[in-house]
Amino acid sequence: MAFLIRTIDFTAAGREIIRDRVVEQMSLTVGRAAECDIHLPDLAVEQRHVAITTQPDGMLAVTALGTLGFALDGRVVSEGTIDPRTGGEIALGAARLALAREADGTIAITIRQVAAAEGSHDALRGFALASVLPSKRAMSWILASAIVLLLLLVPVASHLLRAPAKPDPTGKTPGTVVMDAAWSPGALSRKHRSLENNCESCHVAAFESVADETCLSCHKDTADHAPMPRLAKGSPALSPGDAVQWKIGEALGKEGPLGCVSCHSEHEGPVRQQAGGEAFCSDCHKDLDTRLTNTALADAHDFGKAHPQFRPAYYASFGAAKPVRAALGAAAGTRPTERSGLKFPHDVHMNARGGAARMAVSLSQYGKPLECKDCHNLSPDRIGFTEVKMEDACEGCHSLVSGRTAVGGFSKLRHGDVKDLAQDLARISSGPRARVGPARQRPGQLGSAATPYRADFGRPVRAYIGISHALSAGGVCTECHLPTTGPTGQADLMPVNLPDRFLTSGFFNHEAHKQQKCTDCHAANASKAASDLLIPDLKNCRTCHLGAAAVKTKKIVPSDCAMCHAYHVPSGQWSPKGPSPHYRPPPSKAKVAAATARKAGT
Amino acid sequence: MASGAQGGATSRFSSAEKRRDSDHVSFLKHRGFRWLWIALGLSLAAILGYLMIDQQPRPNGGTWYGYTLGTIGFGLIIWLSLLGVRKRRINPGAWSLKAWTSAHVYLGLSLVVIGTLHTGFQIGWNVHTLAYVLMLLVIATGIYGVVVYATLPASLSANRREMTRAQMLDALTAIDRQLESAAQPLARGEADLVIAALAQDVFGGGALERLTGRYPGCATARALGGLGSGSEAEARVAALLEKRREQLAQIRGALRIRALLEVWLFVHIPLTIALIAALTAHVISVFYYW
Repeated sequence: MAFLIRTIDFTAAGREIIRDRVVEQMSLTVGRAAECDIHLPDLAVEQRHVAITTQPDGMLAVTALGTLGFALDGRVVSEGTIDPRTGGEIALGAARLALAREADGTIAITIRQVAAAEGSHDALRGFALASVLPSKRAMSWILASAIVLLLLLVPVASHLLRAPAKPDPTGKTPGTVVMDAAWSPGALSRKHRSLENNCESCHVAAFESVADETCLSCHKDTADHAPMPRLAKGSPALSPGDAVQWKIGEALGKEGPLGCVSCHSEHEGPVRQQAGGEAFCSDCHKDLDTRLTNTALADAHDFGKAHPQFRPAYYASFGAAKPVRAALGAAAGTRPTERSGLKFPHDVHMNARGGAARMAVSLSQYGKPLECKDCHNLSPDRIGFTEVKMEDACEGCHSLVSGRTAVGGFSKLRHGDVKDLAQDLARISSGPRARVGPARQRPGQLGSAATPYRADFGRPVRAYIGISHALSAGGVCTECHLPTTGPTGQADLMPVNLPDRFLTSGFFNHEAHKQQKCTDCHAANASKAASDLLIPDLKNCRTCHLGAAAVKTKKIVPSDCAMCHAYHVPSGQWSPKGPSPHYRPPPSKAKVAAATARKAGT
Repeated sequence: MASGAQGGATSRFSSAEKRRDSDHVSFLKHRGFRWLWIALGLSLAAILGYLMIDQQPRPNGGTWYGYTLGTIGFGLIIWLSLLGVRKRRINPGAWSLKAWTSAHVYLGLSLVVIGTLHTGFQIGWNVHTLAYVLMLLVIATGIYGVVVYATLPASLSANRREMTRAQMLDALTAIDRQLESAAQPLARGEADLVIAALAQDVFGGGALERLTGRYPGCATARALGGLGSGSEAEARVAALLEKRREQLAQIRGALRIRALLEVWLFVHIPLTIALIAALTAHVISVFYYW
């Protein structure tokens, strides 16, 4: 077996010097000792370090002769085998012995010295992922700067440098602050959506909470629930957490827990403003009298359990200037008696077999017995009823026709004012007497268009008789009205006093109850006199309506306060659908006065 | 047990033993999961508070409880991010880095609860949700980091097969040297294939190749495919290339495990800094448009 030992050295100039020698042996020794077959003058190498032996199968066995191992193909071992066909490399100190078989079958051992710096620290850095990714520091800076610049510095700078945009409820004026949409924590409620692009319309100044005056600049008509000092006094103590928050908030200029935004929180999504729940009202009203000792309001917290009896406003005496309130539902004898000044037995009119019904059947405008809606019409807000007008509701039967007119119609007495009535009656009496037979032409009048000369030089006795007849008991007026005497002793009628609404602090939506019959709640068919106050009492409502905590069944409707009551005064009933407020408050007195003044001026 | 002198020696021994033992306790199990229990207690208290406290008009960051959760969350985020500062300061005393790391992991996880309750589950396209999402991403990468730190080091050492990283590179260099001489008899085309294989940097692949362990552009594999096996020289070069490929596979295995171990930090750290920026914008903007 022959080994070709090829030593490669470099001159100082870098030129390769190759020395070959052939050793005809079966095995070689490698070491620092001079007698070794391959002599390596390197202190890192043992005197006799390894032996390379040819095996019978042609493989080369490499064995460490001492305790120190060697590197075979990069791996530190103490013995190993090299297949001469593929070759192998032994590392001993700085020397690298590459073993491979030559074409002629000899085993070539090429010895090279390598620079000691190989496998340096720098090369190992390649193992770290950092060598192929951008640096964490650079990424951090880029991301953080982009966020701070776009989401903080740009909006703040444009806010500081802007010309303020005016609040515009129509939504046509966009805000002038750039990129502040990214600050919005959520969409505005449906009513405020038009302000979506104009944050400054509410957020007027930097680091200042949205102020009540900003809200009121548009919501001019919205008034407080009660005067602020009473609200504050009637409110229960805040929870310790809320108290701390408001203390800090108020110290920083936020309006207190009675400010607009503490209830009307915005940016909760494109939803309707929700009505306050039962707890919202009962927080104060469940024991209001303990804090607001002089209040006229009774405590309430759950419609089914704790709600005061209804106290409708009604006229308790004839011709009273103001309505009074009294609780319903008391014992039969103490029920409130209404003094409207009218005679109106509901039972007579509603009896389907009575005279009123027969009359109605015979009239084309009714055609059948009278129903409630023949007289009572829902007002446009679907809550109350329009005023019952005598001309529309009563006159079909209670006729005021006084005679025929010249053109073939009927003349009738005017309704509403006794003075008008007196004039109409006087005209009847002073007018030409009714013809008895067909008109006959006298000579000289033939073909003339002039009216015949007639005169009644007598005193208008018939007129006086007529008016005093009409106004006295048994007269046409007293069918419905109560006779009385005026300040100078003349015959007169009791003025009619009916409130527009009986339950003025709550809203009863008749439209929502149209499945019920009127008489289910209003005991009109048994009412014999107009003095019966036919407003249903609390118990009546509670057959269906219980508090918000009640379990909903086919019959029971859990009802929170907002179903009937509103918070702001004046205000309308809150409803889950439709335009809000459902009921538009009447214009304020000042506005009406201004409008009439304008009218009078023109 | 023994005399006083022996007792002193024993206690010193036992305290040293205790320290040595504690050196080998994972930061997750530090002091019997102390920080796990603290974090669980914190999360539970936050959830209970959220359920029991009546937050008007609705739970979100603007109620007093929301502000409290927000302040706790903000403090936690700042403190958690200070781990990077703490670990670079080698100082004695009670500032155990292991305890700090343990608290970092568990308190960081409790931030999911605190941050989510602070939002009141109101999510949108805005700077506030950006901060929240960044926080969740940071925590998610942190969870990934804990998992890989617990599982991958074993496979890293299995992959090494008792070789150091330097030895792996040396082995590759050794094979390369043999390849260079063995390839001398080859024809031009085949020699070029070998040159390409030799010239390719072992660390040349990108992050994706490292993470997947797939190197579609591997010149060694291509050389192996393009090499005939007619002559003895070719067979020898092919055998060497096969060895090279095996060595490369070991190095690439090490690179892959190392990349999987480290990649989360390249998300965790920059996103933490981005989170602090977004948090600053969140807090300032909320009070700017109060």
